[in-house]
Amino acid sequence: MLVSVGYLLPGALRPTDTLRYMTDTRAGVVDGPDLGPWLRRKKDARLLPRAAQLALPAAGTAMAAFAGDPEALGLVVAVGREPPDEGEAEASLAAMCRDGALARDRLGSEGRALYPPLLPLRTLPNMVLAHLAIAHGIRGENAVFAGGEEAGRHAFEEASAMLREGRAEVVLVGAAYSAVDLASARDRLRLGLSGPPGEGAIFALLSAAMPLPPARLLGVGDLGPVAALTGLLPSA
Amino acid sequence: MTERIVVTGIGMVTPLGRDSESSWAGVLQGRNGVGPIRRFDPTGFPVRFAAEAPVAGDGPALKAELVRLALDEALGQSKLEGAYDPARLGTCLGSEACRPPWTWLWRGDPPSEPELLALAPDAPTRQVEARTRARGPRSTVSTACTSSSQAIGEAMLRIRRGEVDAVVCGGVDALSDPLMVVGFAKLGALSTRNGAPELASRPFDVHRDGFVLGEGAGLLVLERETTAARRGAEVLAVAEGWGCSCNAWRITDSPPDGRGAADAMSMALSDAGLVPADIGYVNAHGTSTQQNDASESTAIRRVLGGVPVSSTKGMMGHLVAACGAVEAILCVLALRDGVMPGSRNLDDPDPACDLNLVRVATHVSLKHALTNAFGFGGSNGTLVFGRA
Repeated sequence: MLVSVGYLLPGALRPTDTLRYMTDTRAGVVDGPDLGPWLRRKKDARLLPRAAQLALPAAGTAMAAFAGDPEALGLVVAVGREPPDEGEAEASLAAMCRDGALARDRLGSEGRALYPPLLPLRTLPNMVLAHLAIAHGIRGENAVFAGGEEAGRHAFEEASAMLREGRAEVVLVGAAYSAVDLASARDRLRLGLSGPPGEGAIFALLSAAMPLPPARLLGVGDLGPVAALTGLLPSA
Repeated sequence: MTERIVVTGIGMVTPLGRDSESSWAGVLQGRNGVGPIRRFDPTGFPVRFAAEAPVAGDGPALKAELVRLALDEALGQSKLEGAYDPARLGTCLGSEACRPPWTWLWRGDPPSEPELLALAPDAPTRQVEARTRARGPRSTVSTACTSSSQAIGEAMLRIRRGEVDAVVCGGVDALSDPLMVVGFAKLGALSTRNGAPELASRPFDVHRDGFVLGEGAGLLVLERETTAARRGAEVLAVAEGWGCSCNAWRITDSPPDGRGAADAMSMALSDAGLVPADIGYVNAHGTSTQQNDASESTAIRRVLGGVPVSSTKGMMGHLVAACGAVEAILCVLALRDGVMPGSRNLDDPDPACDLNLVRVATHVSLKHALTNAFGFGGSNGTLVFGRA
């Protein structure tokens, strides 16, 4: 049974607004979000990859309806299949240049000082799950599936199976994805993908197994695994 | 009673060897798999050693070759090919997105479409699916160092649910890469024992100073016992239990009380229908970091008491997303041969790691073995295997 849904979609927080913004060619990018209510400390924002920045408010909205013990909650997340964004390592790579060319020996010296120490952690696919678990104190069964739309479907199937098999009484399930960065845009062009890149997050609280409603084609850019869960959105 | 799930094929490539038997022999001998980095020139780097697999290449090509070798071995042993309706055969691998190889930075032209697809975390799963012609559920699990342990757990669940009769599962990783070495070194997670790399990975030793990045792949064929028996497959072990939990603590640290790890072990025991006294051997996650080893020790002591424990990472470093599968295979072999691997470099056990540590390979009659995998971000996974 579907208890609650929280979502952050391109252009607006409501599907109706999303459709309206599409005509303004603003589709694809989520406004904000304001992470204030969802972070214990403001400086924790630097730990969050973009997908986690979208996931925290979406999951937080879904969790607002939950009054039980979060420790026993199941947590299943779907994420995209993109390689890590090295954009934050650019300063480090730039410092490696000698006479206009990359000098690899300088990564261990000049480049090393500028390499963001948290970058390896930010690029791990399971960081969305990690931040949600920490934010809500979730300690139950969990999984992260990586891929395109199929990852979203797998996540929902796994959540339903957890409930059916009694491995959890309530499960927070969802997907978070962002392809709105230069590296992703470049890669999308090379892959011949049409349409704008997109981003978003949808999270739902389930208390009993249910079939995944058919996805709605929002047409607001590539939403990766989030697209598979768009059928959970309330009717406009 | 739920039908048993059996292991009918294993394949692994590790820093100790290009197949299961050579890797296993290296583990039992306590051989060293850690040495100077050869994938790139590490001059000037804070860490200049790793546990590299004896396979050429870099980036996605290296990962694909690691998977190919492990898959060929696992399929050859299980004689799985052609034995199943493709729709009843699934694939589930644990892996992370691959970084663009270092050499791509110098070559000038951008990555091609196939190269980009090869960087995706699900590329190894698609490789296994293509080779096996499986058409059942395909999933890729990415929970850092827990990934391949969780992939095996997920495979067990899919067989139990009746979605498939067999699954090829496991994981792969290869992190001997300049940016990863610099990044993990800056996090303070890696050993910096550059003068003596062979002594660098020392789980549970009081002088441990971090983990050693490793490379490898481990794949298993899991099947429903009745269908395996029907086709006359050799059974290597029984996949009995799976448990997983979140720490909900911090991104890089484990909680000192070991609670999340203890939860995962308790759940796996319960899933297997066993009690703590049934477990004869634990292959610990044992990364050789101060925090993990102390936290895991507390958890093992609390759940399993004085059970014999070793960490094979002293020999082969930390294979990250592949470690859960490789160490699961080591448990399968320990059960098959009745021998517990030892713990290389355990010269001075840390009093904070109050465990019954196995120092050298020891013959013993084993019925059940347990293996842990814990990931950055706080995902914990535990698998239990039984003797065939």
